[in-house]
Amino acid sequence: MDKKLERILPRVQKPARYIGGELNSVVKDKEKIGLRYAFCFPDSYEIGMSHLGIKILYAIANSREDTWCERVFAPWPDMEEQMRQNGILLYGLESGDPIRDFDMIGFTLQYELCYTNVLNMLDLAGLPVFAKDRTALSPIVMGGGPCVCNPEPIAPFFDLFSLGDGEEVNNELMDLYLEHKKRGSDKQAFLADAAKIPGVYVPSLYNVSYHADGTVGAVTPAGGAPETVTKRVVRDLDKVAYPESFVVPFIDVVHDRVTHEIFRGCIRGCRFCQACFLNRPIREKSPETINEQCKVLCRNTGYDEISLCSLSSSDYSRIEELLNLLLDWTPQEKINVALPSLRVDNFSDELLQKLKKVRRSGLTFAPEAGTQRLRDVINKNVTEEEMLKTANIAFSGGYCAVKLYFMLGLPTETDEDVEGIGLLAKKVVDAFYTNPDRPAGRGVQVSISASSFVPKPFTPFQWEPQATAEELQEKQQHLKETLPSRKISVSFHDIETSCLEGVFARGDRRLADVIYRAWKQGCTFDSWGDFFKYDVWMRCFADAGLDPAFYANRRRAFSEVLPWDHLNYGVSRRYLEREAQKAMRAETTPNCKQGCAGCGANKLNGGHCDV
Amino acid sequence: MYDLRLWLSKKGSLKYVSHLDMFRLMQRAVRRAGIPLWYTEGFNPHPYISFLLALSLGIEGEGEPVDLRIVGEMTPEEVRERLNAVLPRGLSVVAAAPPQDKPAAIAFGRYDVYLDPAQISGAELQDVLAGGGLTCQKSGKSGHKKIMKTVDVSAQLREWQIEEKDGSLLLHVVLPAGSTVNLNPLQLLEAVSEKRGAPVYACSAVRTALLKADGKEFR
Ligand code: SF4
Ligand code: SF4
Repeated sequence: MDKKLERILPRVQKPARYIGGELNSVVKDKEKIGLRYAFCFPDSYEIGMSHLGIKILYAIANSREDTWCERVFAPWPDMEEQMRQNGILLYGLESGDPIRDFDMIGFTLQYELCYTNVLNMLDLAGLPVFAKDRTALSPIVMGGGPCVCNPEPIAPFFDLFSLGDGEEVNNELMDLYLEHKKRGSDKQAFLADAAKIPGVYVPSLYNVSYHADGTVGAVTPAGGAPETVTKRVVRDLDKVAYPESFVVPFIDVVHDRVTHEIFRGCIRGCRFCQACFLNRPIREKSPETINEQCKVLCRNTGYDEISLCSLSSSDYSRIEELLNLLLDWTPQEKINVALPSLRVDNFSDELLQKLKKVRRSGLTFAPEAGTQRLRDVINKNVTEEEMLKTANIAFSGGYCAVKLYFMLGLPTETDEDVEGIGLLAKKVVDAFYTNPDRPAGRGVQVSISASSFVPKPFTPFQWEPQATAEELQEKQQHLKETLPSRKISVSFHDIETSCLEGVFARGDRRLADVIYRAWKQGCTFDSWGDFFKYDVWMRCFADAGLDPAFYANRRRAFSEVLPWDHLNYGVSRRYLEREAQKAMRAETTPNCKQGCAGCGANKLNGGHCDV
Repeated sequence: MYDLRLWLSKKGSLKYVSHLDMFRLMQRAVRRAGIPLWYTEGFNPHPYISFLLALSLGIEGEGEPVDLRIVGEMTPEEVRERLNAVLPRGLSVVAAAPPQDKPAAIAFGRYDVYLDPAQISGAELQDVLAGGGLTCQKSGKSGHKKIMKTVDVSAQLREWQIEEKDGSLLLHVVLPAGSTVNLNPLQLLEAVSEKRGAPVYACSAVRTALLKADGKEFR
């Protein structure tokens, strides 16, 4: 280990975050490597190491003989301070070498509030933060992940973005890069070619013009770049590469277990849910493949827990088959199977019995809205009746604590809808006490978690104004004041972070200036309450001459050019407009199993959805 | 079923892996190695693995004892080999044998501490150590509150030796270790730094053995 590093590690919290060498981490002989790739997660080690996508892309890149992919996380502020004081550049965990000298640096962008961390990591690496100031071919700085569906606010910092599933396109980009490296090309030549790969968006090749009112006039491609960039879709999840091992961290991380994605997309189409629309069309992995992959992963990691993580895991069409396969071998090996996001309306008695064999986790429901009317607006097709039925089954089965997830600030929300949250929770409390089979001698605990709704691109609510901080404050207050029972507790998400998230989610390129200023003034780790500096951010908006309300709290017309309109995620604009109109009429749309609603995403998969 | 004591060598950057994390690491290593361990009863059964003594963050170990309870017939030698095949770099089982001493018999740790002669000379170190009056601050608990306690280091310091060769400075020292009194060499260096008014850092510190009250090696 580097001498300077050796000196500072005893002085920082959790030094094991910075040492690499974990089981299954990949070390190669750098003399035999043509391409060095730094996979960066712009948040703490503990968060980044919990992320499945990074494990998949790490395995794929390292399965290439010509490539060595390393992991990089955002150093915690105490470590950052030591690194800056001692002149240590940001390094890859596997080799300890500065990533400045790598060929490619890929960031995964999971949430908007990580943007300042991206800038900070580039700076810690000793690189200019703006793409235009990095003139050499290497390193190419790229981004992927959900935020890339509207990467405009961070476009000036990146050379390219990869839209959609990364498994295949990453390989194509690496091949292309190696070719250009051999040829001795410059960055412009590489980027011009990269823009021809489907799913690759090179923002510097698109010129954005604005109307006098600040809305986007047009986005014009140059240099042969396509008019619209369509996201990549992996067609067959059974055939696509999946890791045989995960890097097993030394320290405790958020999700420290075998996680497995059993399908992509979601059949439900809740109108606020960006994850649903971004990941369509619906593709399932077969139970046999999942089971085999889980076995191999458990063997190679020593983990004693498997968690099936998909958007709505119980919608997986062969869930019973899968659970039977898994429950066939896991109990003997003392491995626990966890299903994190079970939905109300198909949580059958039978499934519950099966799950009784495994360790119990909490009972959670996500009705999201307090009244049936508002649930219809957001297309959350959960009725009170179904929910209470499920709760009753669970109470009879020994559950005493229920967690309910809601959102405040949804489109068309009234005071009555807010009060409805408390009333619904009260009905759950009452259901417990009127259930003759409830656990004897115990009380019920219903906890409400209320987050703030943030309108996101590629959802039917992408044109909606976000509730202002003041409005959200009032709604929270109203909810607290109208809670009908002491058995109900409520917790809220921080309003100010949601407001900032809302600005960047639907922002345009001009916001890069605000992000740059905020970072310069010391903003990093904005998603961590302790570090979030709302007043600094607001000052930076003012200094840049931009109004956050323009981005967050304004109703957009269907006729407006949205900053992300040149990106195509499969779900058509026509469908989104239709859904937006239905929402205003509180009309629901059946889920994909009941009938295809024609969202358009299946076109990316030869007209097919696994439903 | 039988009890087996492993002796682990923990070297290099593994010294930054904490005691708690080591426990989880062993739990997984044992699973990967396919070693049949005895599990505790109860709703959330876990395998019986016991690290006898914590090793402070930043210190390497040459023989750290860990007790396992094996069900079935797997020999100590096979356990050792299987584990060594799956442990991360920097960690290995150097020996495996049924325990001879009770965990409570551990009284001292023997350490090798490598120092930078540019920071302190052997002669000065000898003077400071022999001079008495060394103290350091240790965090402790009073009820539920965290407090800082001053520890009399000189009182704990009985045996040491200073070796100088090829421009390096090596301190061999025996310090109390066990369930009641504990002092690690990094704390000793803090006390030395405090006394002389200039910092002395360890280039590396290694626990080479554990001793019983009578000075014999703990086995
Ligand atoms: S069920 Fe609704 S909220 Fe959940 S992932 Fe699907 S669309 Fe999103
Ligand atoms: S194409 Fe049809 S079935 Fe497929 S995701 Fe869209 S609405 Fe659902």
